[in-house]
Amino acid sequence: MWNPFKNYVSPKRLRESGVMGMNRRNFKVISQYNERRLYPLVDDKVQTKQLAQKAGINTPKMIGTIEFQHEVKNFVNLVQEVKEFVIKPAHGSGGKGVLVIAQHDGEKFIQPSGKVLGYKDIYKHISNILSGLYSLGGKYDVALIEEMVHFSNIFKDYSYQGVPDVRLIVYKGYPAMAMTRLSTKASGGRANLHQGAVGVGLDIQTGKSLKAVMYNKPILLHPDTQADLSKIEVPMWKEHLLIGAKAFEMTGLGYLGADIVLDANRGPMMLELNARPGLAIQIANGIGLIDRLKLVDKKFPKNLSPEERIEFLLNKAKF
Amino acid sequence: MLKNYLTTRFFLTVLLFLSLIYASFSAYYKIRYWGFNFAPNQNSDIWTIEASINFDPTGEPIKILLTTPKTSEQFKVLEENVTAEGYKSKKIVKDTERMQITSPAKEGPQTVYYRVMLFDNVDAKGKTYAKQPQAPEKPVLEEQTEALVKQISDLAKKQEGNKVVQIIKELNQVPGSPAVKALMPVKKTQKELMENLRLILSYNGIPNRVVRGFKLEEDRRSFNPDLMLEAYLNNKWMIYNIVTAEKGLPDNFILFQRGGESLLDIEGGENSSVKFTVLKSITSSLSLAEKRAKLTGHKSWFDYSIYSLPLAEQSTLKWLTIFPLAILVIVLIRNIVGLNTMGTFTPMLISLALVKTGFWPGLICFTLIVAVGLTIRFILSKLNLLLVPRISAVVIFVILIMQFLTVAGYQFDFTIAQSAVFFPIIIMAWIIERASITWEEDGAANAGREIFYSLIAAIVTYFIINDEYIRHIMFAFNEFNLVILCVVMLLGTYTGYRLTELKRFAPLVKEK
Repeated sequence: MWNPFKNYVSPKRLRESGVMGMNRRNFKVISQYNERRLYPLVDDKVQTKQLAQKAGINTPKMIGTIEFQHEVKNFVNLVQEVKEFVIKPAHGSGGKGVLVIAQHDGEKFIQPSGKVLGYKDIYKHISNILSGLYSLGGKYDVALIEEMVHFSNIFKDYSYQGVPDVRLIVYKGYPAMAMTRLSTKASGGRANLHQGAVGVGLDIQTGKSLKAVMYNKPILLHPDTQADLSKIEVPMWKEHLLIGAKAFEMTGLGYLGADIVLDANRGPMMLELNARPGLAIQIANGIGLIDRLKLVDKKFPKNLSPEERIEFLLNKAKF
Repeated sequence: MLKNYLTTRFFLTVLLFLSLIYASFSAYYKIRYWGFNFAPNQNSDIWTIEASINFDPTGEPIKILLTTPKTSEQFKVLEENVTAEGYKSKKIVKDTERMQITSPAKEGPQTVYYRVMLFDNVDAKGKTYAKQPQAPEKPVLEEQTEALVKQISDLAKKQEGNKVVQIIKELNQVPGSPAVKALMPVKKTQKELMENLRLILSYNGIPNRVVRGFKLEEDRRSFNPDLMLEAYLNNKWMIYNIVTAEKGLPDNFILFQRGGESLLDIEGGENSSVKFTVLKSITSSLSLAEKRAKLTGHKSWFDYSIYSLPLAEQSTLKWLTIFPLAILVIVLIRNIVGLNTMGTFTPMLISLALVKTGFWPGLICFTLIVAVGLTIRFILSKLNLLLVPRISAVVIFVILIMQFLTVAGYQFDFTIAQSAVFFPIIIMAWIIERASITWEEDGAANAGREIFYSLIAAIVTYFIINDEYIRHIMFAFNEFNLVILCVVMLLGTYTGYRLTELKRFAPLVKEK
């Protein structure tokens, strides 16, 4: 017999497994621990970058910003000193509107994929950013130009184009769950799971892979590079965790998502923060978030410095 | 955390119960004292006609004479009243019935409402009697006109039917004879047609008079009365449609005025106009309710309810009272089912358009507009336009598509296309813009899915708000809007899983 709910499970079983749903995240976590007035700190990447510098968190260097339409034509002057750069909307989300240029001569701009763009393409892209095409709610936006990350060779085999990043869910200053997102051909080089990127759950204490999923289904090998996804071990894991922990003091957000990339020369760098991180990380880990958050609530000490929290997490916490 | 959450939800639950108690009491009150009913009034035998008379006073005392319907074969006058501040009204019954509304001199534009309630006059069928009228005076005509009239009268004899029918048919024949064309323009108004028709009938010695009235259809607003001809032939008055020559009163046609006197005379006013509104069922039963409320001494409440408003306003409110329910449906679809639609209330606006266009025509039209719009949007994206001019261009393209569909629909008598105008233009443009961006960024499948989900939400909403019972209940018992408000707020504290999450997170369930 045809059963439309064949792939569905009962709410009771999800609850027993500690899975956090969207409504619960919004009502019980975000609205409780993330004050609305703090959102601009993370929604505006320029502000986030400035805050991060003050807090001593490593981020890609800002080359410049373009605020007004008449400034757009000056972007060539901004980037003439640098070989490679990234243009992104200051208020973008989910990697929308991010343009990476690996090489240019002021007229031709070459993307990492080898695609060549002209001056006009870049001009249009920046104009689109300014007019709010990629920003939340379509408000006027600012284009941010920053240096490109030279992502560590360690991830080379695990990604089809794009920069693999580590996403940490930080709850009350404690990294509670982690994953890395690997772009694929299907995701168009982007790192969004719903677009077809691979999500690899990482052990929060070691940075070793637990499980990999693509389109919600477990996989073992990267679909394009055939690399063994169970062998991933993120180097400098403690430094990754420390960035996440510091982001709590830096923003005051009790529940946040930190996106961290590993630069070959400069180590882990914070790319952006998110005040409403998605729930797909649970699928990548194969574990619900609720139990983790409850553990932090009940067993983890409060009023520690970021370094002390990471020490606690690595040495004393039991998951 | 737990405490805080409990109090919010507890507070809202209490509020919900209070609103439920209030709504139940209010509904009981309306049923008990005002005679409201949960079922919509389906026997359409009670009609309310409202005439709104507008004019600018000249500074002299005002006297308005409005011809009013009298009890006829078809309809009985149940109640009539005049709503006008500072005016006195009096019924004058002579050959015709007229309402005289007077007032001392006034300043500024004036609006006077006359409302009459009619119902099917079952008792009086076939009992109207008529005096033998005198033959009309033969009109004095110019030589040329007389020749034309004579020519037409002769030509008409070749048509079928009685004399009157013959003349009407001759005048409306397409293509018209040269004589008819010479007498009046090809694109004639109802008035021109009536004048010439009467001229020819009088020339032929047939007594005739003009009849003004309305076809009673629900929700007609601000229209002019229809003209019909009444002619005395073979010892009886008979009503004719002046275009189709059909005999007799159409169904649900109410006569407002017969013969001689004009519909409206105003002394002390200029630039006058009179517009009519017809409403059936709910308002009619509500008007009855007003009467009942008066009798039982429960009128004061009624004065502050929406049912005491003029009919045109009630018609609008009938729509507004259904909105909260549509909003509730959207909340359920987004937060309980978990479908991601384009924009929060876009599906609701699409569903409202569907109600106006009808289901299939609307759906086909929507698909056409979005499909053509997307194609054009892809061409636009090659032109490197900035966002605001680009979305503006899409808006204009949507308007052009609508114009094209409407004109094409009219030319090919294809009614589906004509419903294009009912879709909210800006909303359509945003759907196209968002869909094309999603298409570029996340692929066609995601864009298609977004549109599909929005349509699903719109269709579900459509079936709920298009139901006659639900619409009647939401209007007649508008206090349930308050209950919906509380339910919506309470849903804001729902922390359970969405239906779609039961599938999305299924792999996370620990095997036992």
